[in-house]
Amino acid sequence: MTRTVLPATQPGPAADLPGRRRPRMRLGRWSAPLGIVGAVVVLLWLVVAVVAPFVVPHDPLAQDLPRLQAPGSGTIFGTDALGRDVFSRVLSGATVTIPLALLLVVMSVLIGAVLGAASGFFGRWVDELVMRVTDLVMAFPTVILAMVIAAALGASLLNAVLAALIVSWPSYARLTRGLVLGLRTSNYVVSVKLLGFSSWRLLLRDIAPNVVGPILVLASLDIGTAILLLSGLSFLGLGAKPPTAEWGSMVSDAVQNFDSWWLGLFPGLAILTIVIAFNFVGDALRDALDPKSVTVRGGGATL
Amino acid sequence: MVHSRRKRPLAVGVAAIALSMLAAGCSSGKSDSGAGAAPKTLVIDKAFDLKTADPARMFEPTGELVDKALYETLLTFKGGDVSKVVPGVATLDESSDAKTFTLTLTGTHTFSDGTKMTADDVVFSLQRVIGVKGNPSFLLDGVTVTKKDDKTVVLTTATPTPALPSILANPALGILNSKVLKANGGSTDAKDGAEKYLNTHSAGSGPYVLESLNLASQVVLTKNAKYDGAATPTYTRVVIRNVEGATQKINVQGGDAQIALDLSGDQVNGLGSGVKVTSDPSANVIFLMLNQSPAVSRITSNPDFVKAVKASIDYQDLVSMAGAGTSQAAGVVPSMFLGALDKSDALRTDPAAAKAALAKSGYAGEKVTLSFPSDVTLNGIQFPTIAQRLQAQLKKTGINVDLAPAPVATELDAYRGGKETMGLWYWGPDYPDPSDYLVFTPGNVLGLRAGWPKGADTTVSALATAAAAGGSDEERTSQFQDLQRALNNSGPFVPLLQPGNNIAAKSSVTGVVYNAVWTLDIAALGGK
Repeated sequence: MTRTVLPATQPGPAADLPGRRRPRMRLGRWSAPLGIVGAVVVLLWLVVAVVAPFVVPHDPLAQDLPRLQAPGSGTIFGTDALGRDVFSRVLSGATVTIPLALLLVVMSVLIGAVLGAASGFFGRWVDELVMRVTDLVMAFPTVILAMVIAAALGASLLNAVLAALIVSWPSYARLTRGLVLGLRTSNYVVSVKLLGFSSWRLLLRDIAPNVVGPILVLASLDIGTAILLLSGLSFLGLGAKPPTAEWGSMVSDAVQNFDSWWLGLFPGLAILTIVIAFNFVGDALRDALDPKSVTVRGGGATL
Repeated sequence: MVHSRRKRPLAVGVAAIALSMLAAGCSSGKSDSGAGAAPKTLVIDKAFDLKTADPARMFEPTGELVDKALYETLLTFKGGDVSKVVPGVATLDESSDAKTFTLTLTGTHTFSDGTKMTADDVVFSLQRVIGVKGNPSFLLDGVTVTKKDDKTVVLTTATPTPALPSILANPALGILNSKVLKANGGSTDAKDGAEKYLNTHSAGSGPYVLESLNLASQVVLTKNAKYDGAATPTYTRVVIRNVEGATQKINVQGGDAQIALDLSGDQVNGLGSGVKVTSDPSANVIFLMLNQSPAVSRITSNPDFVKAVKASIDYQDLVSMAGAGTSQAAGVVPSMFLGALDKSDALRTDPAAAKAALAKSGYAGEKVTLSFPSDVTLNGIQFPTIAQRLQAQLKKTGINVDLAPAPVATELDAYRGGKETMGLWYWGPDYPDPSDYLVFTPGNVLGLRAGWPKGADTTVSALATAAAAGGSDEERTSQFQDLQRALNNSGPFVPLLQPGNNIAAKSSVTGVVYNAVWTLDIAALGGK
C-alpha cells in the first residue's frame, strides 16, 4: 500500500502540491532493531503480567522465608525485610502495574481525544473551554500536581491512577485538537461537508482515521511515563498500599536497606526495562508512521 | 565557540588562584590549632532533626545531644542510668510532699567568657524556659522559681511533682550566662530575642562551646577552655554532621566519621572489625492502640477482641525482626526508667487463648483498619514493616486487618482526634520519669486518643491516681508496676517494642554510652 506524502524539504504551503510516492513504512536506521527488541521485552512483560499469579514460586505476600537473604541461597532475587520472596514480588508487580498503566493511557487517550476532537471541530466556546482547562492543568508541574491530588484522595492505587489521569489527558487533547483543526479545512473534508453529510460522520469516518496514528505514537511513548508516574506515586507512599507487591513501593522499602542491594535493584530493573522497552516501541512506531510527513492538506490522502 | 575557547585560560587561572588560596587557608588553620598537643577532631554522623540550639526552645534529639555538650544542668544522670538522678552543678533537697525542691550550687562553675555561675543565672535560665513558651516550657508547667541566696534556688509546685528532679536533668534546662544573654536580647518572657545569638555562640559552662551551627548540615563544637567540670573532654573539636542512616554506615566503615548514631538493627550487621557497636533498647515504646469508643468501632471496643489481639501477636517475632538492641516492651514505661515492668509481666503470645477470645467476641471476619504513619522510621524500624508483620500475625488468628498508611503529617490529626480504629504509634518520653506515662490512662491524652474517657476503667484510674501522688523510689516503683499490669490486662494499648538504639563507633573511640535523654555525652568520650 502506498500513500501521498510531501517531500520532506518542502513544508508549508507547498503541501498542496502532489508529492512523490514512497513505501508506507519508513523506519529510522536504528529504530527498527530497537523497536523489535522493545516489542519483545514488552511482550515478555505482558506475558508475565498475565501468568504471574500462576507461576510465582512463592506467595508474594507470605512472610515465611528467612529475612533479608541475599539472592542465590534458595531464592532467585533474595528476600525482603519481612521474609517475602523478591522474585515472586517482582513478577507479581507486573500484574499490578502494567494493567493499571495501560488503563491509565487508554483512559487518557479516550478523554483527551474526545475533548480535543470536539474542541478542534466545533471551535468557538467549546474550544475555548477545553483549551483553557488544558492550559490550567498544564500550568502545574505534572508530578507535583499528581502528588497533590493523590494525597488529597488518600493512598490507593486506583486513586493514583485517577490522579495521573487528571494530569495526563491534556496532552492528547492538545494533539487531537491540532490535527482536527488542520483536517477540518482540508479539501476532502470540506467536500464531504458540501455533500451534506453530518458532523458526526465527518468526525468518525473521515477525520478520525487521520488522527489515530499520531495519537497511537504518543500513547505508546506515554505508557512508559505512566508506569514511572504510578511507581513514583507508590514510592512516595501515595499509591499502592502495603503489602501490595508494587515496584515503586518495593524500591521505596529498599531505600532504608542500602546494604540489601537486591531489594531495590530488581524492582528498579523491572521498571527500567519496561519503560525503555515501551519507549523503543514508541520511537519505532513514530518513525514508521512519521506523522510529520502525513499529508493533511493534500486532499484525499489517508494513512 | 571561539569566544569560549579564548576565555578558558582565564578560567583556569582563576581556579588555580582559588585553589592555592584554599590550600593556604587550610594549612594556616592547621598550624594555629596544632600549636599545643595534637588536636583531636571527632566526627559524628547524625540524621538531623535540629531546629535550634537555644535550650529554651530546643526539644529534639539532635538538640539534646548538642546542648548537653554546651550547657550544664542542675541535676544530671550518670552514664546511661536514667532511673536515678545525681547532682549536676547543684545538689537537691526534696520535701516529702514533692512540692518544694531546694537546689544548692556546689563548687565553682565558670561560663565560657570567664564569669562564675550564680543563683541569678539559674533563676534567669529556668524562668526563661517558662517565659519564652518554647517547646520545652511544659517541663516547668506550674513551677515557681525563686532565689534564696547566691548559692540557693528554690522550686515550688502546687501539686506533687515527683518527676521534677528527672526533668531538671534535661539539657533544655541547661544554665545560661544571664549577663551575656541579657546583652544579646535575652529576657524571661516571650519578647526574648536571644535565639539568634545562641545559634551562633553558646553561653554556657559546658565542656564545649559552639563554633558554628547550620541547622541543615552541621554543628561544630570546640573545647571550652574555661570549663572546670569533672571530666576534661578528649576531643578538642567535634563536628556533628547531618547524614542519613544508610550513608552513615559507609562513612563509619570508611573512616570518614568516627561515630554513627542512626544505624538500624540490620545495618549494624557486618560493619567489620574496626567498628564497635553499642546496642541498647531506646526509651521509645512502639505500641498498638485499639479504639474503645463503640462509635468508632464496635469491633475493637469489645474487650474480648482486645484480648484476642494481645494474645495473637508474636512479640518475639517482632523483636527478632527489628534487629540488634530491640526488646519487647513489657509495659508502656521503658525498661530503663523507674517503675518499669519486669520481662515476666510482659504480654505473651497464646494462639489458643486468642482464638477462644475472638470466638467470644462475636467477630465474624470483618475488616479492621490499622492506621499508621507511613513515613516514620524509629531507630531504623520502619512503621510500614511492623504494620505488615502485625497484619500477617493477626491473620493467623483470623483477624482481617486492612492497612491504612498515611504520611505522619496527615495521620496525626486522626490519631490526636481519637478517630483511628487501630493505630500503630510510638511514645517518646518527655522526661525519664514514669509520671510521663500517666497519659496512657482513661481520660488522659493517649487514653482519649484510644476512645477511653474518664471512668471507662475505674481499676486503672485508681492505680493511676495512687501513682501520681509520689513517694519514695520503692513506693513509686511498685505503684507504677501495678498500674502497668492493670493496663496490660484491660487497657486498649498493646506495648510492642522498645526499638534498639545502635551507636557504631570506630574502635579508637572509647567510653560510648547510650543515654535515653541526650543519646551520647560527647565530653565523656575518650580516644586511643
